[in-house]
Order: sequence, then C-alpha cells, then structure tokens
Amino acid sequence: MAESTFPSANKALRVGTKDDKTAPFQKISEDDEYEVTSPTDPTFRTANAAPASSSTGTHFFGGGGFGESSGPIRFNRSPFDDGSREEDEGADDFPPEDIRPTGAANQGFPNNYALGRRTSVSAESLNPTSAGSDSWTPPHHAKSEEQLARLKTAVSSNFLFSHLDDDQFKTVLDALVEKPIPAKGIKVICQGDAGDYFYIVENGTFDVLIHPSGCVQPGAEGMGNKVNTIGPGGSFGELALMYNAPRAATVVSMDPKSTLWALDRITFRRILMDSAFQRRRMYEAFLEEVPLLSSLKSYERAKIADALDAIKYPAGSTIISEGDPGDAFYLLESGEADAFKKDVEGPVKFYKRGDYFGELALLDDKPRAASIVAKTDVKVAKLGRDGFKRLLGPVENIMRRAEYESKPTSSGGEA
Amino acid sequence: MPSLGGLLKKRRTKDSQTLSKELEAGSAQTQTSPNAAEDHHHHHHLLHHHHHHQPATNSGTTTNPTIHLHQPATNQPNQSSGAEKSSEGQAAPMQSVTHASPTAHPAGLPQSNANAASIQNIIHSSQPAAMQSGAGGHAQAQHSSRNDSRTTKGKYSLEDFTLQRTLGTGSFGRVHLVQSKHNHRFYAIKVLKKAQVVKMKQIEHTNDERRMLNRVRHPFLITLWGTWQDSRNLYMVMDFVEGGELFSLLRKSQRFPNPVAKFYAAEVTLALEYLHQQQIIYRDLKPENLLLDRHGHLKITDFGFAKEVPDITWTLCGTPDYLAPEVVSSKGYNKSVDWWSLGILIFEMLCGFTPFWDSGSPVKIYENILRGRVKYPPYLHPDAVDLLSQLITADLTKRLGNLHGGSDDVKNHPWFAEVTWDRLARKDIDAPYVPPIRGGQGDASQYDRYPEETEQYGMSGEDQHGHLFPDF
Repeated sequence: MAESTFPSANKALRVGTKDDKTAPFQKISEDDEYEVTSPTDPTFRTANAAPASSSTGTHFFGGGGFGESSGPIRFNRSPFDDGSREEDEGADDFPPEDIRPTGAANQGFPNNYALGRRTSVSAESLNPTSAGSDSWTPPHHAKSEEQLARLKTAVSSNFLFSHLDDDQFKTVLDALVEKPIPAKGIKVICQGDAGDYFYIVENGTFDVLIHPSGCVQPGAEGMGNKVNTIGPGGSFGELALMYNAPRAATVVSMDPKSTLWALDRITFRRILMDSAFQRRRMYEAFLEEVPLLSSLKSYERAKIADALDAIKYPAGSTIISEGDPGDAFYLLESGEADAFKKDVEGPVKFYKRGDYFGELALLDDKPRAASIVAKTDVKVAKLGRDGFKRLLGPVENIMRRAEYESKPTSSGGEA
Repeated sequence: MPSLGGLLKKRRTKDSQTLSKELEAGSAQTQTSPNAAEDHHHHHHLLHHHHHHQPATNSGTTTNPTIHLHQPATNQPNQSSGAEKSSEGQAAPMQSVTHASPTAHPAGLPQSNANAASIQNIIHSSQPAAMQSGAGGHAQAQHSSRNDSRTTKGKYSLEDFTLQRTLGTGSFGRVHLVQSKHNHRFYAIKVLKKAQVVKMKQIEHTNDERRMLNRVRHPFLITLWGTWQDSRNLYMVMDFVEGGELFSLLRKSQRFPNPVAKFYAAEVTLALEYLHQQQIIYRDLKPENLLLDRHGHLKITDFGFAKEVPDITWTLCGTPDYLAPEVVSSKGYNKSVDWWSLGILIFEMLCGFTPFWDSGSPVKIYENILRGRVKYPPYLHPDAVDLLSQLITADLTKRLGNLHGGSDDVKNHPWFAEVTWDRLARKDIDAPYVPPIRGGQGDASQYDRYPEETEQYGMSGEDQHGHLFPDF
C-alpha cells in the first residue's frame, strides 16, 4: 500500500480498470449497502476528462489514452451541502473552473512530474546523547587552517550545511576524516548500494556514472554512462547524510592517487542533534528564569523554544533602542551586553549569558525603556510578541493564571 | 428536482438512527475482526448505539457484557471530557471484544463464547462482573489496557488465513489480501521481513508502528486486529479497505475539484487531531497512505513512522515531497510537521503535484523546501491558498495546528467553512466518490497488481531477530 518503490507512472493507471468502465452510479439498485448516489446529481469531471491529446496530457501520463481507457472519475455533488441547501445544487461551492479544469489549467504542472508512488525514507532512530547514554563526543580529526578554509568553501552552499551555526559547522568540519584513494579506478560509491558517507574531494578527479538499471551491473560497461566529473573542492553523496538511500550514481577515482574527506550520517546527525538539543535545553532553562513566564507549562516552554530565532550581533551594535516600540523579547545566548538610558551616564545594567531583556514587549508595544548594546559579539534568541500570542495566547492570560503580581520591571529584565 | 442523494440525506436527518444502523450493517463487513462469527451485524448496532448515544442505553445492550470494553476507545474521537483525555497514553484493547477475534469459531454466537480464549485475553485479570456497568467497563478497560496489548501476542497465525494477492509493496515487505478461514471475511496482512527491517535500521519504528496502531481507534484510522511473527517475518492483521488508495484516485483524476479535496482533507484533519490528542505524531501523510473504504471515506494506513511524541523528536523520516523544513534541516521537530504535510497533501489534491517537486532530484526538493517559496496555481480558490500558506510555512509561530487554537484553527479556517465537523466525524456526510466495488467484500479490484512474493511464508528455522520485536 504505502512505500511502493514502483516508479512507473503507468502503474497508477491500472487501478480497477475492469470496474472503471462502469460508473459507480449504475450499481445503486444492485446493492443497498453502498452509499446511494443519484444519477441526477450534478457530477464533476476532473482534468482527465479533457482529451488525453491535450499537449501536456499525454506527456505526464505517459502513453496517453488515460481518459479513454479508464473512464473519467466522476465525483458526486459537494459532500458538504446540507439538506437545507438541496436546491442550490452546490452552485456556490463549485466555481466553474473547478468543475472542468482544462488544458490551460494545467499550466504550472511540472514537466516529467513523477506520478509513481513515492518511497518513504528514514534515518536510523537517534536520541539526544544527554537523554540516554551520555559522553558521546564527536570525532576530531586535525586539519590545517588552509584545509579548513577549503572545506568550508566546498560545502557552504550545500543545503545540509548552509543553515548550520558556526559551532555546528566547525564541529562538522572537524569530524571529517581523511580518506586516501591509492589508485585509479576505485569505486568510492556504487550506484544502488546503501549510502552512509558524504565525500569532499581534497585532490584528484572522480567520474560520476549512472547505469539506467539503477545499480552497477557486471561487465565492462557495468557502471553505465559518465554524467559528470568532480575535482578538488567538489563533493558527492550528501543524501547519505539524511537517510539510508540507495546511491544514485557510481563515483570512481580517475587519478593514480587522490584524497577525499569523508563524513558519515550518524556522526553528522548526532552533531546536529546534540547541539540542537543542548541549545533547546538552554532555551528552556533560560525561559524558566523569566518571572513573566513562570506559569508556563513545560510543553508551552517547549513551544516557545521551538520558535525562538537565533540572531547574532557584532560587538558595539544596538539590539534594541530606547523609545522604539517594543515588539520582541530576547534571551542572551552568548556574549555580553549593556543597557543604557538616555540621560544616564554609563551602563545602567549588564547582561550575560542566560539573561533576558525586552520581555515587557510581550505585554504591549510601549516604548523601550532602555537601549541594549552588544558589548562583545552576541548571540540572542528572539521571540516576537505576535508570535508569542499566536503560540500561547495573550501573555496577560498566562500571567493571570499564575496570579502573577510582582512588577515585571523589578525583576530580571529592564527594557 | 430533488435528487435521490438529497432524499437520502433528508431521510438520514429525520431518521438518522435507523439509517445509521443500515449503514453500519453495510460497513460491518469491514469492521469485523478476523475471528468474528458470521452474524455480527447485531453487535455492531449495539456498539453504535453506545457510540452515538450515551451510556443511558447501556442497559439494553448488556447481553454482551464485554461491549463496554470498547467504549472508551470509540468515544475518544468525539469526546473531550477530562476523563477521556486523561486516558491519553492508554492503549485501546487491540482486540476489541465487540469484534471477535479471527480465530473464533464461525458458528460461535454470541461472542462471549465465540472465542473464550480471546475474550479471556481482553478481560484478563479483571473482574468481569464490573463490566456490567458502563462506568465499571470504562475504568476497567483503561486499567487493563496495557495488559491487553501484551496478551494479544501470538494470537494469530498463518494457518488462520488464506493468503491472496499482494495489495502493495514497500521497502521491507508487502501487504496481502487474506481471507480468514474462520469467518471467511477479508483482511489485509502486512508482512515485514525481519532481516530487512533490521538492515534498514527500522526496528524502533516497526515496534512503534505496532504500539501506536494498537492504541488508536478512530473512524478514519485503520484497525489493527493483531500481529504475530515467525522465524523470518512480522505479520500485522488489519482491515481490508476495499476502495484502494486515494493515490490511485488522485492520479486517475489528475486533480480533485475543490470540494472533493476539502472532503478528504477534512477527514484527515480529524484523524490528525485525534492522533495528536493521543500525543502521536504520524509523519508520513501522503495519498499513498490514505485508503478509501467502500463508502468513500478515508482510512489512514501505514503507521510505520507513527510515534508517541509529547514534545520533540529528531529522526529524519517521511516522504521527501512531504518533509517539513525543520525535518530537512535536522533541527528537532514536533507534531506540527503533520500540519505541514497536510498542507502539502491539500496542495497535491488540488493541483495534482506537490509544491516543492523539482525534476526528480531529492536534493532539489530539499533545497526548495528550505527556500520555502510556493507557487500557487491561479485556479486555486483564494481560501485554499490562504489555508495552504498558513500550513506550508516554516514559521512555527504561524503554522496552523501548532498555535494556541490547536487543530481548531485548521477546522475553523474559511476553506473548511461548510464542513460540519461533528457529522463528518460520524461519517454522516456522503463521500464525493464511491469506489466501484462490485465483487463484495474481498474485491481488490481497486488495488494495483504487483509481482507476487516468491519466498514462502511461515518457514521454520533459526530466528535471529525475533527478540528485537517482543510485541509481535
């Protein structure tokens, strides 16, 4: 049922061909136990009622005859007309363009769209280190500054790396392990095999080959056709960092001596998960310290933690400005910051990791009471008032349920 | 001109009791457990009176004392009283007594003596006398539920069924149509090769699949009747749902008219709402996993990635087109990924393709998902676009279903305005498409054909992996 690996679009067309010749309506009298559908009901033809000769039609349904061979699917009246609206015949509910999508309505349909069943994918189940067996530390393989810079360039545009924060990125680069390839003609990955490593080319060149059968075949031409060449700074096999997927191509060394950097999925995912988990725990711990939010239940804190945005400010930059309307709340994740007031000489308050400010903005948009300036490079986690309200409802209600009475300004935050 | 369908609906409104009985009689076929005795409709009526009306009617139905056992589970989807909610985390009895077990003697009626063993399993160490009162049944069922799931172990075997053709295939197994040798009704059995499950590192997911399926009971979720294992395979006995995959209907239709997509989306929404109430994340929503029953209502199947997740989880799994950005970027994610997937599903139903698909390359799909730009075709209804843009959003403070209003935010969205949710939950709304099932209950014509398995099931031999699947 699910998880079929059949890629052929035509598979989908085979459904019930025998019965499809008969519209469902004709069987009403035969079998009471079916839902009865009136032949007088307005029916809805869907796109396939349009001739399969429509230029795009044959294209994605590979082979045409789609409409003719299986007969159009006819849908009943709107399921949601209630009895009182019997006479409307659903006029309101069915904009004409919905009833009969034409060829023109197919615009936007991707070319060669894969119509087959889609296979589910999965990585191995992982749980954060700190939740189970602790003391996993990511592997560390020393690299020169120059190597690191090259590696960084090699992967920084890769979607799996581009959203990593600096710490994660560094840990991941440190975990890359050197893999010398001592000869020409070595298959680094084989099409069809289970993938578990991602590779970056340090030196040497590699050919990428694809065999139409989906995996390497015996014989001289068994690797299939060359589709690409990868040189220094290039990379391949990134899908293996996500889940167990069969390799889509074969990659083979072309030089007598070459070098790769390799990273396996479990290491990669562990690094990401552990750092995300630690950050989350940190957020939740920080949030527990905010009196205004003291009555949040743990699942609510978790929700907030899910939605916090990490933002970096360089030393000397202003995070919030006195007098501006307040719209967001900040947790100081790393670095230090000072609060200043216009007519006061010097900082009026000092913030370090774990402190927070701007929490009154969760209540209303009153002007900020102070400016907060980054003293060092700073990383904050930010949550807007609107986002907070959407997630948990008005903060007033949250305060009310704990009968939170102390003056928010007197504790913790300032601005 | 009043249509027949219209008359039917009116009649239903006037006499919904009678009609729902009739409908139940029809659907009873798909609802009967593999060991049920032949004549089960009667019990179904009783059950449904429980379900729709409150326990006041219980006194009339106590001919079968075990009926009450089933009540908490069936009521859950429609009730949200504190008591019901608190049963979250409690397993519904896998083997609902109102449907007898597949090993029941065919002539054995009433159920209470249809299969003493199976009923014993359900009641287990509990005091059967307490079952006589509705309240007692409630409490009992909840208390004993954990035991129930254990005692169902090993109840079925290959000998209870005649294996028929394959209905679907997957990475580590396939689903067969089977017929119970006891009651001659049809079921679907999912067969998983243990070696393959182990090789694909899906042990936890597979155990979770069984645990979660065992726990849920909802009109739009597939029913698991039982499981067993032999030296090589795991077996899960489920309803055979005759109408085939929504996937097949969608591909045949190319895309669905707005109200049709809305109908299926609404049923999925109710199912997700229920699962999330049970703290279960589903994680693999797609048309391939939605089956149509003979009346055209949905059943969600394949709980291969379902898991109890009160807050956050980490494992990357799902189907590429349907993955939420926080899953792709390995950030840790929560149940709201199911609402994202609902958005993708609605988009696919309305358009015939998924919004992030790109030339067949998974990497490009993931790049598109992270970029998050969706092009809404001009033929989409503005309400649909509005809903989709609030489901297919990376911003968790904006994604409907994840917000303060929970699933109600989805249900109250204007696109669903004409949906009467309570009626839909009772399947009291006619489906837009009734699958043409002509051959009776075992008619598998709505399913594609697949090459059949060549390896014999039920082989004896060394069982290397059995200990990894203690629940089966």
